[in-house]
Amino acid sequence: MIRFESVQKRYPGGTVAVEDFSCTIPSHTATVLVGSSGSGKTTLLRMINRMVDPSAGRVLIDDQDVATTDKVALRRSIGYVMQASGLLPHRTVQDNVATVPMLTGTPKREARAAALDLLETVGLDRGLATRYPSQLSGGQQQRVGVARALASDPNILLMDEPFGAVDPIVRGELQTELLRLQSELGKTIVFVTHDIDEAFLIGDQVVILRPGGEVAQAGTAEEILAAPADDFVERFIGADRGRRALRLEERDGTRIVVDGTGRAAGVLQAAEGDPAVPDGPAKDRA
Amino acid sequence: MSTNSSSATQVLFDAPGPKGRRRILLLSVLSVLGIAGLIGAGLWQFAVNGQLDAAKWLPYLRRDYIAFLGEGLWGTLRATAVAAVIAFPFALVLALARLAPLRPLSWAATAWIEFFRGIPMLLVVYAFLLALPAYGVTFDRFWMLVVPMILVSSATTAEVFRAGIRAVDRGQHEAAAAIGLMPRQSMVSVILPQAVRLVLPSLVLALVSLLKDSTLGFVVSYNELQFQGKNMVSITRFLVQTYLVVSGIYIVINLLLTRVALVLDARMQKRAAQG
Repeated sequence: MIRFESVQKRYPGGTVAVEDFSCTIPSHTATVLVGSSGSGKTTLLRMINRMVDPSAGRVLIDDQDVATTDKVALRRSIGYVMQASGLLPHRTVQDNVATVPMLTGTPKREARAAALDLLETVGLDRGLATRYPSQLSGGQQQRVGVARALASDPNILLMDEPFGAVDPIVRGELQTELLRLQSELGKTIVFVTHDIDEAFLIGDQVVILRPGGEVAQAGTAEEILAAPADDFVERFIGADRGRRALRLEERDGTRIVVDGTGRAAGVLQAAEGDPAVPDGPAKDRA
Repeated sequence: MSTNSSSATQVLFDAPGPKGRRRILLLSVLSVLGIAGLIGAGLWQFAVNGQLDAAKWLPYLRRDYIAFLGEGLWGTLRATAVAAVIAFPFALVLALARLAPLRPLSWAATAWIEFFRGIPMLLVVYAFLLALPAYGVTFDRFWMLVVPMILVSSATTAEVFRAGIRAVDRGQHEAAAAIGLMPRQSMVSVILPQAVRLVLPSLVLALVSLLKDSTLGFVVSYNELQFQGKNMVSITRFLVQTYLVVSGIYIVINLLLTRVALVLDARMQKRAAQG
């Protein structure tokens, strides 16, 4: 469990990134911090592995204040995936993945063998092991980034807009892959994004942030969609533009789901054992 | 890297139209004719004065002539190699010291670098030849040339390394920190390997300039190529021929070094470096 207690981050010169943030992140679930630029979401994420130290307040992991831990040991025990994957360009994929275990004293041969298995875990071909990062596509690089973060078998996985730099199709694949991994591994994931749809997809818990790290609303996707706390949340999730208010219309005998602006969002499919609705390919899982 | 810069040039450089191309062609032809004319006039003057006589050129194929200049060439290469082997690692140390978070260390390194970068190498050589012996500090000829080469070259090369270190993407520092590398580990195993690759071509250029610096060996009577050439002139009186041959040798060596730089650069592009 990760707990933020009245955390504040004020930079010299007076810029306030986070005013007063409190939140509890339960273990073995995915929590998504979502907000626009300047909401302090990355700052908050980095407080967990002490890449940023709070100016006031505490961050606790399993009731231990991270400020009392050794920075380097803490970071090695937490997986971290960043947007541009942050791979070392002069090392092969395999060596990139094996970096942290080798730092913590795993024998080289063992670490590299484990790295091969991890590549498979994240859905990469073992044959890519000897390539250099620049020889991979953006999506593949991102998968290597995830494999590296998992290499030390951490309980906590921090992900800072990990899928921000890849195209929408690859992003979709990576999101699905992450969900599959999470259902197998059950890590405590803290995920930062500015994409609310990604947040609703990934997060067991979604925390919507206002500028300055103020919590606008926290809850499950369903809770937030059902009862947006205020105008800000409504705007953020697109409810004010009618994106979330879906209704059925019938066209050419097919039931189409249409959003508040009148745009088709998808096709209504029959639930299993419901013969009332004819089958049709889902265009979009809205 | 090269694709980026070439596309940048394309943005800045407007491709010439038909008129422009014609003008460029005309000017090119004219300048080639001009240069050829100058060379021709020079050769004609040489011929008139008998400088192109076979008797004045054939001796350079003689074994003793080759041995004489070869001794100079060996001296040049030895001084350059020794200076480079000491100067480049020392330059890296200076660059790291200048970037160190410890202020006094950084200031000291900066002062050292700026001092030796700013003064002409000839002055340093004179210091070793004239000033230091007055205080009882003497070196043999080889070191009287090589130590100044090291001092000056390490200062300029330190700045090359510093530029390389700073050119490594900021994200790499963050990534290194995020996976739990200590500052020193991240410098040694993440930043430096990338920085050295970035500056490899510039290092070869530094080597070329080091090679040319070794010509100051004549000041301390060290037997490097140019000094041997000078000696040869005083014996044979073949001034024009000797210096042309000596220049030719320097140009060939530097062309070879530049080729090495190109090959290294190409290999670097092909491999990683741009992650």
